[in-house]
Amino acid sequence: MKKVLKCTLFVLGLVLILGLIVPSGALAERVIKIGVIYPLTGGAAAAGRELRAGAELAAEIANTAMTTIDMSMARNAGIKSLGGAKIKLIFKDHEGNPTLGADLAKKLILDDKVDGILGCYFSSVTKTVSAVAEQHGIPMINGTSTSPPLTQRGFKWFWRTTPHDKWFTKDLFELLKGLTEGKVKGVKAVAKKDLINIASACEKTEWGSNVSLMIQSWAKEYGYNVRKSMLYAKESPDLSSEVRSLKAARPGVMLFASYTSDAILMVKTLKAQKVKTNVIWGQDAGFEKPEFRNTLRDSIVGILTRTVFLPKVAELKKVAGQVNALYKLKTGNDLGGASARAFTGLQTWVHVLEKAASTKPTDIQRAANAIYIPGDELVVPWAGIKFSTSGDEIGQNVLGGGLIGQYQKGPDGKIGLEIVYPFDVASANMIYPFQQF
Amino acid sequence: MEILLSTIVAGLLFGMVLAMVALGLTIIFGVMDIVNFAHGEFLMIGMYTGLLTAKATGLDPLFMMPVAAGVGFLLGVLCYVGFIKFLLRGPMIAQLLGTFGLMLLLRNLALLIFGSEDRALHHGILVGQSFDIGMGVIIPATKLAAAALSVVSFLGVWLLMNRTKLGKALTATALNAQGARYMGIPTERMNALAWGIGVGTVTVAGALIVNFWSVNPFIGLLFTMIAFAIVALGGFGSVPGAFFAALVVGMITEIPGFWDFMTYTFELDWMANVPMTSLKYMWVYLAYFVIMVVRPRGLFGWKH
Repeated sequence: MKKVLKCTLFVLGLVLILGLIVPSGALAERVIKIGVIYPLTGGAAAAGRELRAGAELAAEIANTAMTTIDMSMARNAGIKSLGGAKIKLIFKDHEGNPTLGADLAKKLILDDKVDGILGCYFSSVTKTVSAVAEQHGIPMINGTSTSPPLTQRGFKWFWRTTPHDKWFTKDLFELLKGLTEGKVKGVKAVAKKDLINIASACEKTEWGSNVSLMIQSWAKEYGYNVRKSMLYAKESPDLSSEVRSLKAARPGVMLFASYTSDAILMVKTLKAQKVKTNVIWGQDAGFEKPEFRNTLRDSIVGILTRTVFLPKVAELKKVAGQVNALYKLKTGNDLGGASARAFTGLQTWVHVLEKAASTKPTDIQRAANAIYIPGDELVVPWAGIKFSTSGDEIGQNVLGGGLIGQYQKGPDGKIGLEIVYPFDVASANMIYPFQQF
Repeated sequence: MEILLSTIVAGLLFGMVLAMVALGLTIIFGVMDIVNFAHGEFLMIGMYTGLLTAKATGLDPLFMMPVAAGVGFLLGVLCYVGFIKFLLRGPMIAQLLGTFGLMLLLRNLALLIFGSEDRALHHGILVGQSFDIGMGVIIPATKLAAAALSVVSFLGVWLLMNRTKLGKALTATALNAQGARYMGIPTERMNALAWGIGVGTVTVAGALIVNFWSVNPFIGLLFTMIAFAIVALGGFGSVPGAFFAALVVGMITEIPGFWDFMTYTFELDWMANVPMTSLKYMWVYLAYFVIMVVRPRGLFGWKH
């Protein structure tokens, strides 16, 4: 009896000593903290919700073994090379404000001690946040900001998975060229004079200003005439005078770069002003959001938007279909350009951490620079992910690609996006010219 | 020519809408000599009232204007009785800072309650409708309705001020409050009434404007600035002055349209890329500045 008592006391004592010596967190599950900065309120709140859902879904898949998903990150529960460490996302809301974004990045780095950052959708915010990350030597992966100069700054701690606006805008001009050459599915060759005059309206932000410059630059190269190139104040309460000014240019093609609330207002105003044109194209963002489709309904049939993901991709690509099903279960919506790229951004984080097998920033940096994720791992229709480490662009994924979709009404009466570019994967005949309002 | 005509029509319509916004400000200033910095915030409240009641009841936002008028009238009277009345006892600077504080309070309350998101009406009898009257002139139905109501409101207020005993009492209070009191006019009640009518007209304007503008807690500032420019141009306290000044300001905001007319009529390519639409409100503030320097009384002002 005495012996049993002695043993019990010994074990209890050992537990007590261990409890005092070993920090409480050490025995707990290891966690990798990623700070995620998105616009969760304000004019782009709807996009923010999508982005958040995309990143959260990727974290769920990474943290749980899911044999039904054909992705390497779904095979293990957590980061295998880090002993099954789980990804913990710490979300912050930048409200579309670059200064606030930078403050939040500092807080995440200094107070929350995050291992890395993901964000920020708005190129203007990504610019300031990445500067903070660079200053502190904390790795940042960006999945959704498309302003070209972001990867032309020579930053060592910044990597971007999405293709940027230079290439997306080129896709548009390839489509216009295809229209004049009769390459577009379901459309006979169009006279160039019907398309030659372009009017563009982009929001006056880092992203919009660069899109505007890209449009002018590519238009010159492809022989188009930009009759009106306008920058407007984002989240404008009224765009009547802007639309009248665009209309005055009598354009054959109207191009826009707007976030959700502006994109909706722009199309409403185009409709109210009964604007006539042959092609309306949006540079993704607001033009691709579910709110845009749900609010404007039939008015958007025929409008084009560049994107990196369409529900049609889910039909063509198995892994995209599997993830899309989970996303739909979670949110009620299909994956879109924003959510699919937010998913891919976090997925890239998981691969980089797996390769680094460490949370030391220099190890992560080395892994990111050497990473290669094959295209069949991704939900987006890209050849893969591989970052450039030399030349004009540092940290840019060189294997990305874009799509152009057109809103069309299906046989069930529902409005959805059909792929019209690249021509070889077109999922429907293109509607041309744009049905007049 | 299409561009010119549509620009003039758009300028006049927008001017009439702005007139409605400035009406309340001119009434309050005319009667009480108070510069109300919170004017735009009352408009914002009117916009939220129209938007939220329409969404809650499922009725068209046009039917919500009486609700907005009621809310505005009550709010105006409450503001006067609970706050402005006390400010009047202090120096002019107390009134300026007081209404500035009221502006910040209302804006931040809205931010707390509604968040910073833009909200807009997408459906309604007039929303998205427009009339093509030929010559390339398209008139949006919402703006036409707002302009028509603006004219009716101005006529109503003008008749009230000039053809009724109540109006004369309000004018007497404005000209000489002490003298009016000696004549048996309840000046306190007149002041409260002026605030009720002033805020009521601007909330009705808000309920109409929300048919074609989105609303967020910060929308008031733009309208406050424009309303001040209108009232300064028309003459502080002058009801007809405010109306005509609003038409002028409406045309000033359409300077980009006139610019486009010149650009495309004379094919002056260099003009196409001047960012005139980005500067559309700058001309209004410039006009405000010039009027304050050159003729502080405004065009029709009777206050000294």
